[in-house]
Amino acid sequence: MLNRSQAPALHPIDHIAFVQPEVIQLSNGAQLFWRNGISNETSKIELHFKAGSTVDQPIIASLCAGLLISGTSQKSARQIQKAFDALGAYYDVSITQNEAIVSIYALKEQLLAAYTVFHQSLFAANFPNKELQDLIAERRQKFLVQQEKVSFLAQRQFQRSFFGGSVYAKQIQLEDYDQVSLTDIKAFHQNHYLKGLLEVLVVGDLDQSEVQQLEILLQAFEKAPIGKAQFLWQNEIGAIHVEQEGALQSALRIGRPLFNKTHPDFCDFSILNTILGDYFGSRLMSNIREDKGYTYGIGSYLVEHQDYGYFVIGTEVGVQTRIGTFEEIQKEFDRLKTELVATEELELVKNYMLGQLLKSADGPYAMLDLFSNVHHYGLTLAFYDHLIERIRQITPQRIQELAKQYLNWEEMLIISAG
Amino acid sequence: MIKFERFTLPNGLRVIFHQEPSSPMAVVNVLYDVGARDESPERTGFAHLFEHLMFGGSKHIPDFDAPLQAAGGQSNAFTSNDITNYYNILPAQNIDTALWLESDRMLSLAFTDKSLEVQRQVVIEEFKQRYLNQPYGDAWLYLRPLVYKKHPYQWATIGKNIKQIQEASMAEVKGFFQQHYHPANAILCIVGNFDLATIQQKVTHYFGDIPAQEKKVRALVAEPKQHQFRTKTIRRKVPATAFYYAFQMGKRTDKEFYQADLLSDYLGNEKTSPLYIDIKKKKKLCAEITAYITASFDEGLFVISGKLQPGKTIEQLEEALWPILEKTAHKAISKSALNELKLKLRTSRAFQDQGLLNRAMNLAYFELLGSADLINKEAQHYNQISTSALQAFASQTFRKSNCSRLIIQSQQDAQ
Repeated sequence: MLNRSQAPALHPIDHIAFVQPEVIQLSNGAQLFWRNGISNETSKIELHFKAGSTVDQPIIASLCAGLLISGTSQKSARQIQKAFDALGAYYDVSITQNEAIVSIYALKEQLLAAYTVFHQSLFAANFPNKELQDLIAERRQKFLVQQEKVSFLAQRQFQRSFFGGSVYAKQIQLEDYDQVSLTDIKAFHQNHYLKGLLEVLVVGDLDQSEVQQLEILLQAFEKAPIGKAQFLWQNEIGAIHVEQEGALQSALRIGRPLFNKTHPDFCDFSILNTILGDYFGSRLMSNIREDKGYTYGIGSYLVEHQDYGYFVIGTEVGVQTRIGTFEEIQKEFDRLKTELVATEELELVKNYMLGQLLKSADGPYAMLDLFSNVHHYGLTLAFYDHLIERIRQITPQRIQELAKQYLNWEEMLIISAG
Repeated sequence: MIKFERFTLPNGLRVIFHQEPSSPMAVVNVLYDVGARDESPERTGFAHLFEHLMFGGSKHIPDFDAPLQAAGGQSNAFTSNDITNYYNILPAQNIDTALWLESDRMLSLAFTDKSLEVQRQVVIEEFKQRYLNQPYGDAWLYLRPLVYKKHPYQWATIGKNIKQIQEASMAEVKGFFQQHYHPANAILCIVGNFDLATIQQKVTHYFGDIPAQEKKVRALVAEPKQHQFRTKTIRRKVPATAFYYAFQMGKRTDKEFYQADLLSDYLGNEKTSPLYIDIKKKKKLCAEITAYITASFDEGLFVISGKLQPGKTIEQLEEALWPILEKTAHKAISKSALNELKLKLRTSRAFQDQGLLNRAMNLAYFELLGSADLINKEAQHYNQISTSALQAFASQTFRKSNCSRLIIQSQQDAQ
C-alpha cells in the first residue's frame, strides 16, 4: 500500500561527465572547438568576434551586426537569404558588451555549404546604403516601443549609473540613428570582424574533410588582438527613480559590483545567490511572490563579463508595492546575515544545484556551451569539478560570512522605473 | 522517428513512455485536457489561475516544488486556450519524486485560502506585466472577441479582465478541479533511460489508486463562418500604428493546418517573403510585417501583423497587401520555393526534437489530438503538400469577408 505522506528516497548525483571538445588550432592563432558523435542530423557553427557594443560606438556595433549579410557587389541581401533558404539553414547574430556571436544552424549535410554562403557574404560585404536606411527605420521604431517599457527604462538607468564614466555606460540614443556613417560601419566590419575572430564552436557529425574545409575558410580571418578591456568605472550607490506616467508596474534593479568565475569567492557566492533568488523556491520568490503576491516573478543574478561581474536583483511589481518590495528585499539580506541557513534548506539547494548542473551538461550542445562558459575566462572544465566540490562542502557559516560581506543594502545601486 | 510505448491504467490514465538512453535526465509531463476554452464567460482566466494553484500543495504534500528541487529537479507549467501542461525535469534516478508529486495533486488538492489570495494577486501582476503595462500587450484581448462571436476562443488564457480573477471563489476553484483534474482527463508522458516494465510498475504504484471518473464530453459551440469584413480601431499613445489581419481557418487536425503553416512561412519569412520584399523593402510602408497561425485545436486563425512606418496609412498598406494575398490565391508558388520551405521546416523540427522536454510535451500533445503517432507523421503531412494545395488554401482563406482587422492607431499618425 502506498504511503503518500512518505516522500520517495532520494538518490544523490555521484558523477557528472564533463566532455572536452576536440581542439583544432587554426593558423591565424584562433581555436576551433568541435563536438562530434551526435546521434541526430542537426549541426551548428558559432563564430565569436570581438565586435561587441563596447568596442566602438554602440550604434555602430549594433547596426554592423544587423548588416553582416546585407549584400555584396555580386549578391543582394535577398539573394543571400535565398541561398540559406535553399539549404534549409538558419542564421542568427547577437551582440553582448564584448562580443558578436554569429550562429548558423543546419542539417549536418548542409552546414559547410551554409557556412560558405555566410563566409563569402561577410568577406565581400559592401553595406548598401538602402539596407542601412531600412534597418535604421526598423531599429528606430523598435527603440520607441522599448522606451515605453518600464523594464527597459530601469535596465538603461541601471547601466548608466552603475558603469558611470566608462565605455560600459554608453548606450544607443534615439538621435544616434540620425547620424550613422556608413564609413564607420565599414571600418568596424574590417577591424572587428575580418580582424576580430575570437573562437569558433562547431557541433555536428561532420566528416574530417568538411572540418578541414572549414579550417581553410576560417584562416581568412585575423585573430582578434589580445587586449584588456577598459575597466575603470565608478558605480553609483543609492536610490534613483525614473518616472513613467500611467505605469501599472514599477521595474526594479538592485545591484552591486562583484566578480566573474575567476574569483575565489565565485562558487560560494553562487550558492548564496541561489538561496537568495535564483530558483523558484528561493527566499525572494517565497517571500515576495508566494507570500505577498507583489510580483509575477523576482530573481537575483550574477552577471559575468570578460573582466568583471556584478550582482543584480530584477523584478516588476505593482506600483503601490514598490516600497514594500524594497523593504522585503532588505529583510531577506538581513536574515541571511543574522541567521544561519537551516540544514534542510541548504541540502535542498545543494541537490537542486547539482541537478541543474547535470542538466546543463546533458547533450553535446549544452556541453559545448558549458565548455565555452569556462574557456572564455581562461578556465578549464575542472572548474565544474571545483564547483561540485564547493556545493558539497559549503557550510551555513560560510554562507552567512559571504552575506555579511556582499549583501549590504547601503552598498547597492537601487533603480526603479514606473 | 520517435519510438514510444503506450498503455492505459484501469482508471483511465493514458501513459506514453519514450526511452532516451543517452540522457541522465528524465521528464515527467502531465497534460490535462482543459484550457481557457472550457471556462464559463463569467469566469475567464480560471484555467490559468488554477494552474498556479496546482503548485500550492496537495493532500499529502504541503509544497509541490520543494521535494522536486531537493531531488535536483525543476518544474513549470503553461495554460493555453486548449490545454494545461505541467512538466518536471529531474535526474533520472529520482523519477519517483516527480511521479509521487504529480500523482498526489491529481488525486486531491489541498490549497488554502491564503494560497488562493496570493495566487490571485500573482496572476493580476502577471496580467499587468504581460498584457497591460506593455505597448500593444493587450491587442489580442481586443482581436479575439472581434473574430470569435460564439466560440470561447473569444477570450485569452489570462482572462477577459482583472475583475473576473478578483471574483474567483474557493468553491468555484474546487468545482473546477473536480470536473477537470482526474486520470481520464490527463495524459502522462515519461521520457528517460528506463525500460517499459519499470515504468509500468512505477506508474501503477503512484497513479493506480486514483479513483476513476468519467471524462466529460466537450460540447462547445462551433464558431460560425464569417461572411463580412470586421474592423476595429483603437486610438492611443503608442509609438507606431500596429495592425492585425486575422483570417478564420480550420482546426489543428484538418489537413489545411499544414498548408496554412507552410503558407505563413512563405508569406512572412524574413528577407525573402512577398510581404517583406514588397511592403517593407520596396514600398517602405512597414518597419516590420509577419504572418503566422494560431495552431489552436478548434478553428484557428491565420494572422498577418506588423507596424506602419511613421506617416504611412492603413489605406496605403491595404493597396499593397490585398494584391499580394490575391496573387497567392490565383497563382501557385514555384516548386523550388515550396521545397525550400519544406527543407527549412525539416531543419527546425530536427532541432526541436533534440530536447527531451520538447519530445515529452509533443508526444502528450499529439496523443490528445488523436494519437501520439502523429508526431512521426507530421513530416509526411508537410511533404505531401503541393503548390496547388497552397493556392487552394489561399483562395478559400484570403477573402475580405473572412477577415477581421484590428488597428491600434498611434495618435501621432492620426493627426
